[in-house]
Amino acid sequence: MAADVHTPAGSTERRTALQDPWLVRWSLIIAAVGVVGVLVIVPVINVFYEALARGAGTYIQNLLVDPDTRHAIVLTLTVAPVAVVLNVVFGMAAAWAIARYQFPGRTIVITLIDLPFSVSPVVAGLIFVLLFGLQGYFGPWLHAHHLKIIFATPGLILVTAFVTCPFVARELILVMQAVGTEEEIAALSLGANGWQLFWRVTVPNMRWGLLYGVILCNARAMGEFGAVYVVSGHIAGKTDTMPLRVEKLWQEYNLPGAFALASLLTLLALVTLLVKVGLERKMHGDAAKALQSTSAELLLDARSPLKESA
Amino acid sequence: MSIEVQNIIKTFGAFTALQDVSFQAPTGELVALLGPSGSGKTTLLRIIAGLEVADQGTVLFHGEDATDRSVRDRQVGFVFQHYALFQHMTVFENIAFGLRVRPRTLRPSARDIRTRVSALLQLVQLDWLADRYPAQLSGGQRQRVALARALAVQPKVLLLDEPFGALDAKVRKELRRWLRRLHDEMHITSVFVTHDQEEALEVADRVVIMDKGRIEQIGTPEEVYEHPATPFVYHFLGNVNLFHGHIHAGQARLGEFEIEVPEYADAQDIPAVGYVRPYDIVVERHRNGTPAIEALVSHIQRIGPLVHLELTRGDTGDLIEVELSKERYWDMQIAPGERVFLTPRQLKVFVHDH
Repeated sequence: MAADVHTPAGSTERRTALQDPWLVRWSLIIAAVGVVGVLVIVPVINVFYEALARGAGTYIQNLLVDPDTRHAIVLTLTVAPVAVVLNVVFGMAAAWAIARYQFPGRTIVITLIDLPFSVSPVVAGLIFVLLFGLQGYFGPWLHAHHLKIIFATPGLILVTAFVTCPFVARELILVMQAVGTEEEIAALSLGANGWQLFWRVTVPNMRWGLLYGVILCNARAMGEFGAVYVVSGHIAGKTDTMPLRVEKLWQEYNLPGAFALASLLTLLALVTLLVKVGLERKMHGDAAKALQSTSAELLLDARSPLKESA
Repeated sequence: MSIEVQNIIKTFGAFTALQDVSFQAPTGELVALLGPSGSGKTTLLRIIAGLEVADQGTVLFHGEDATDRSVRDRQVGFVFQHYALFQHMTVFENIAFGLRVRPRTLRPSARDIRTRVSALLQLVQLDWLADRYPAQLSGGQRQRVALARALAVQPKVLLLDEPFGALDAKVRKELRRWLRRLHDEMHITSVFVTHDQEEALEVADRVVIMDKGRIEQIGTPEEVYEHPATPFVYHFLGNVNLFHGHIHAGQARLGEFEIEVPEYADAQDIPAVGYVRPYDIVVERHRNGTPAIEALVSHIQRIGPLVHLELTRGDTGDLIEVELSKERYWDMQIAPGERVFLTPRQLKVFVHDH
């Protein structure tokens, strides 16, 4: 440690030998910081600046007075959690099946789970219109039974769930494959039934992966625009979610209103990001703590080898 | 409770893991399933536990057919090679798990659970670690927690899958003596799987030696070591020298020696091999009338209580290993490059089946 502080001449040379020339170093650093600054930091600050430009009072008013805006907030805060719950159920089932069983088409399923990531959200929306719209395959049947999916909340939930479905499933597949089945078999041999095994062993083992997936899924669900745009029909006060409402306010030249709502959406995203960072810290912290006390323990063992066999 | 396995057959696809395996573990005995990797020993243990289903054959617990019972109903304690502790539970909760998941009517009270877990923690000498998580323990400690957890449900039999396989040599040795003592105190019928001959011979009451899905020999450690029943057992338990030759009409001819093999009275000139342990060979400086093999000393290793000689046979050029006591070695004054004469003291002949 001390040697690092009082750097002798030799080690300076070595350090420069191991590093890129300063020109390369600094142009890369400036490029990275610059891009993040111009593309991320400035716009985010600008959203809040524009939203709050006319004072906090106007800001609150912009958010709460317009009933359509209020409805959009409530709708997003409904659609996103429901989509997340659907994806948690699907993700667990898919991860269980893929990690535990060998079945024909398993690799295809693994590949297809990623499809919503690569397909354009607009196409995803169109698929659902084609299925459930009035001219779609199930449309006439749904209409006859007075069920509305397209241009209604169920449609919004469905497309949001579709677009965000890989988040939870992918995370859980990795976790379940890493954890393996040994602990579950141990639980079985100790007399646990399937239900106890699932809640006491399987779920606790994947809790971090699950939480992580849920957070990412939720962030994406709240911000989804393209797919929702296609199936919502833009009925103000009925099927406009927050992103759709922002766009509508913008089109109506209600800039303060648009920025106020946009800032709220951004705020939700920032909170999500903070939770995610906190979670990552906690996960690493746990691992580091475990590692530390393991080495302390081994030291203790080495010092008193007779303690165990006494 | 005794364990009996009858005519178990198990295949995985085209691979036959177990071909018609039968053995018994009498009540209170500690039995080792010993064999190289791929010999089917772990599969057999998992079939006894109910973690794997045999294609054919029966498993009897205390004379009762348990073949169709699920692992939950077999009342076995299973200890895994990699411990399989519940990572998110403390040591205490790990051990208490089997009691906590019992149906409400059979579940002990919270106080009883605490008492029992504490007693088990003392038994495995880890009471000072009750609040730790598995990740904070050393390998030996984890394995003892796993054992305590298996014992908590008061199993009728204890099954251990390579229990010390993942530990380093010193901890291994300590832990297997400890397991032996524990078994002597508890007298629970136990079967453990190992590929380590020393471990099996040191710990077990009875050793079942397996190879390629078959049982080669069953016996006490002494029996299997002193009287190997097959060439495989000879090879697997310790070093052995081979003398090639033929059997004809109850007489084995291995180079210079002739030995009576009455069990092969009808044999007509079939290839055979004599097996001799390195310590069962007498070394002489001169021929003394008895048939002997001429050999050159190529290497001498004098570490430990015995002297190990490596010799090259004069006639075939094969390598022969011999173990001598230090006294005999000093008396004879052998040096590398010298010529000596070898006579097997004890030799077992098997028909060549390779």
